[in-house]
Amino acid sequence: MGDRIGRVCVIGAGVMGAGIAAQVANAGVPVLLLDVAGEGPDRSAIAREAVARMVKAEPAPFMSKQAAGLVEIGNIEDDLTKVALCDWIVEAVVERLDVKQSLYARLETVRRPGSAISSNTSTIPLAKLVEGRSEAFVADFLITHFFNPPRYMRLLEVVSGPKTRPEVAAKVEAFADRAMGKRIVHAKDRPGFIANRIGTYWIQVAVNAAMDLGLTVEEADAIGGRPMGVPKTGIFGLIDLVGLDLMPLLQKSLGSSLAPDDPFHASLRTLQLVEKMIAEGHIGRKGKGGFYRINREKGGVREVIDLVTGEYRPEIKSVPPKGDLAALVATKGKIGEFAWGLLGRTLGYAAALVPEVAEDIVAIDDAMKLGYNWKFGPFELIDQLGTANFVRRLEQEGSAVPALLKLAGERSLYRVENGRRQYFGLDGEYHDIVRSEGVLLLEDIKLGSQPLLKNGSAALWNIGDGVTALEFTGKMNALDSDVMELIAKAIPLVQRHHKALIIYSDARNFSAGANLGFALFAVNIAAWGEIEKLVAAGQQAYKALKYAPFPVVAAPAGMALGGGCEILLHADAVQAHAETYIGLVETGVGLIPAWGGCGEMIDRWTHSGRLPKGPMPSVARIFEIVGTATVSKSAAEARDYLFLRDRDGITMNRDRLLADAKAKALSLAEGYVPPEASQYRLPGASGRVALRFAAERFHRLGLATDYDLIVSDTLAELLSGGSADLLDDVSEAELLALERQGFMARIRDGRSQVRIEHMLETGKPLRN
Amino acid sequence: MRNVVVAGYVRSPFHFAGKGDLARLRPDDLAAQVVRGLIERTGVTPQHIEDLIVGCAFPEGEQGLNVARLIGLLSDLPLSVGGMTVNRFCGSSMSAIHIAAGQIRMGAGDAFICAGVESMSRVPMMGFNPLPNPELAGKNGGAYMSMGETAENVASRYQVTREAQEAFALASQKKAAAARAAGRFSDEIIAIRTKKGVVSEDGTLRPDTTAEGLAALKPAFDKEGSVTAGTSSPLTDGASAVLVTSEDYARENGLEIFARIVGISIAGCAPDIMGIGPVPASKKALDRARVPISALDVVELNEAFASQAIACARELGLKEGTVNIDGGAIAIGHPLGATGARIVGKAAALLKREGGRYALATQCIGGGQGIATVLERA
Repeated sequence: MGDRIGRVCVIGAGVMGAGIAAQVANAGVPVLLLDVAGEGPDRSAIAREAVARMVKAEPAPFMSKQAAGLVEIGNIEDDLTKVALCDWIVEAVVERLDVKQSLYARLETVRRPGSAISSNTSTIPLAKLVEGRSEAFVADFLITHFFNPPRYMRLLEVVSGPKTRPEVAAKVEAFADRAMGKRIVHAKDRPGFIANRIGTYWIQVAVNAAMDLGLTVEEADAIGGRPMGVPKTGIFGLIDLVGLDLMPLLQKSLGSSLAPDDPFHASLRTLQLVEKMIAEGHIGRKGKGGFYRINREKGGVREVIDLVTGEYRPEIKSVPPKGDLAALVATKGKIGEFAWGLLGRTLGYAAALVPEVAEDIVAIDDAMKLGYNWKFGPFELIDQLGTANFVRRLEQEGSAVPALLKLAGERSLYRVENGRRQYFGLDGEYHDIVRSEGVLLLEDIKLGSQPLLKNGSAALWNIGDGVTALEFTGKMNALDSDVMELIAKAIPLVQRHHKALIIYSDARNFSAGANLGFALFAVNIAAWGEIEKLVAAGQQAYKALKYAPFPVVAAPAGMALGGGCEILLHADAVQAHAETYIGLVETGVGLIPAWGGCGEMIDRWTHSGRLPKGPMPSVARIFEIVGTATVSKSAAEARDYLFLRDRDGITMNRDRLLADAKAKALSLAEGYVPPEASQYRLPGASGRVALRFAAERFHRLGLATDYDLIVSDTLAELLSGGSADLLDDVSEAELLALERQGFMARIRDGRSQVRIEHMLETGKPLRN
Repeated sequence: MRNVVVAGYVRSPFHFAGKGDLARLRPDDLAAQVVRGLIERTGVTPQHIEDLIVGCAFPEGEQGLNVARLIGLLSDLPLSVGGMTVNRFCGSSMSAIHIAAGQIRMGAGDAFICAGVESMSRVPMMGFNPLPNPELAGKNGGAYMSMGETAENVASRYQVTREAQEAFALASQKKAAAARAAGRFSDEIIAIRTKKGVVSEDGTLRPDTTAEGLAALKPAFDKEGSVTAGTSSPLTDGASAVLVTSEDYARENGLEIFARIVGISIAGCAPDIMGIGPVPASKKALDRARVPISALDVVELNEAFASQAIACARELGLKEGTVNIDGGAIAIGHPLGATGARIVGKAAALLKREGGRYALATQCIGGGQGIATVLERA
């Protein structure tokens, strides 16, 4: 077996091992999951239960039912010889050197020479792991450190030892990158590698500072959360998520292997409050709550621990301070002191770790962004504060100034030069950030070019080789009349000068759908004509994309909801990121899909061959999918609903999505012929009655509200073709007219308007 | 007048639709094996059979076309034997028996195989393309009402409490479990070959059912209602077959006579309380046979739902201990088209086994009907 990984073994079916196995399976690759042999009759019970747990878990480790079927389970006693069939063996057993070493000794006797072996250790140095192993084993060994949960966290820290064969590391990295969707960050063989080394320190500093300054948990999380680009869970919320009980273990393990003068030690404190919480079982979300808890006895009220008294009290919402980061750290009083205390130490610590833990600042920024979900890496944050300002303040307070920052002086750590982003290196020079082959990001293209078209909600870019990319730019990439206008302008432009169009955005979410804020505004001033115009404009724009004389490829990632889903349905092909959540969710706000989505779904289901013949099966299936606002939990699952078709592709690595979409577009461009207009054979009034019966059954069970019945009847009327007769074809134009008519009936209804308002205010559907 | 007798009864094991052992077997193949089994068990001469009449409630897909003829061909009946599919929903295969009985009296044949089949796994209730008449749906909501809703209507109109339904369901489960444990189903069950092996036992029984378990179930059809999955018959795959002949033919050919058919009837009722259909139908059939209710020793009253079975038993004044001696559809299952032949065959077999004189088999039918058959020990 050469450089291809066609079969993987994961040893250790704990949370990490099982999750890694699931992600291998998500890539469509068979995986053997082993754990120690159980005492009972089922000797593989541990691995079996791990898979069973994952099938039910939320958020789901598996992307599809089929993926779960790719995991073969076993135990180390009976099945270890099966690793001979595996190209990569991932060890994810308990974090104990003796256990790992004795497992490796056994693996050495059964594995196939040349197969890669990696450890998911988070703290043990590689050099210690391979003590006593043969040269061949050492040459095939490396550390692959995944983050929890392995499906959703994009970071993979890879540590190669001095004797690791480069081709083995390359094989594993290529698989982890392309098949498992991870961004590889090369770390040095130092305790905690990059992300946990900095992350643990950051958490300790934050807890210490909050206590020293007398801040509440909410205040600390409000300052240390969003203003610094940290997920809104904040720092205390993150500890709850990880588990308070794990923190001392991580601290101890890291602390014992770091140099005595490492600032990490100074940040370590024994906190009586935390010890008390652990003793009482308040270890976080997996226990009885942590710094935050939901008090069910008091009707689900959120409570927070008082850092002084150690007692729970109702949460007091704290508003994050406004303004930029420089202003935040300059704020007088506790807020500014906390912000600086946290950033000064954490960023200073990170800067001092180059080159100890990584060759350059890009690796560290990537690790924190992908491993801890920070919006900005430590060095990007220093740039926001200004390198010189940051250094000056460190000097003022008598803190050590890291060599890298001294060297930078007045210079920023990143810059854009000749359309390329560069980073500041330890040699005092700037270097281009080089993307891996096959990685294409719109943000890079934007640095060196101007948009072909642009307005308030969308832009069109030339991404080379005759391919253009249409980007949504509004809040949540919401769709409005500007988007439709830009599509209308883009089509003749692309037709004249280019070969293909991709619909894509670097943003976390492709599009959450139509701009409801605009819709509600128009409702409030009774601008019904404007609303209907927007509906019609959307229909025209989407159909124009469908029938354009060049291929259109949609490349979604994250949420593609409502109108964001309908645009996918009109594309010639979709290249979706694996983590794409697709759905026609209009009924949640009392509306129905009206940008051509229903017709496209009928077309797909009617010709899918998955259902019995006749006018009802496809209509009934779509009624169920759309009527319950079903959203796929992955791109793979989107195929079950035919939001994606077999011809559509799935890209595991987010960074490779645009390049893959571009390749797909170019493959379609040669000899491209636009599709023929659809005709539908629909059941008419009889079908509408049948669908109503189905909805009424839900209603009787209390699963649908009175107004849900009315919304679903509007949907039923549309899907059944209005007054269509079984013997007649319904044209696309007739169906679009029904969509508009149904949509307008619903949006004029006060109960839909209340739903829209509620969605805008809370982000959640109202069940009225 | 020529007497008509039941001269044989068999059925397949019954299994849950979707997840049971018969889910992947075509219904025509299933029924053909049961027909073959009936011929083998009874020893009837196939050439003597006039017609194969098959009841089926949703005769489409794999149980579509004229599935009776196809079952005849699949089971290698002589080409001279006819084939007719009958649809009266749950009453389909009991109607098959009534048709045969009438023809025998007419002198239009001596021996009939009356079978029933339903794969609720492979053909959904309502069929693949439900297309209700919009005007009728508006005029008479009961016409297309779901069966669960009618069961709720019967429960409230006849004041059948949830507790009573659960006690009834529990008793059905216990009776069926005891019957199986005592080997009392072995005479009627034909082992069925499937791709995954031979299936020879019911998969539907839940002998471990408890009152507490039933009480914990959520309502299945109406959040304010009293009917649960535990007090309803399950969606089931299964087939059944009864040999119906003239009494003279049976005697001349040495067939085992189970019982004489002495009264039959069909009766309509309001669709929204279809579960009460057995009441008018049974009264009519018993009147025609001149058999008082008090004379019944064996009653097979189909348990579509506990609520309707209880209401019917109360309205008819059925004697305690005579009803569904080996358990009913709540435990055994209710493959729609197959149930009528099962309960007629079962009532006849019980009459023979238990040694009584008169038996009644009756059931309710979606859309608002009841059907009944009165048997006398021959």
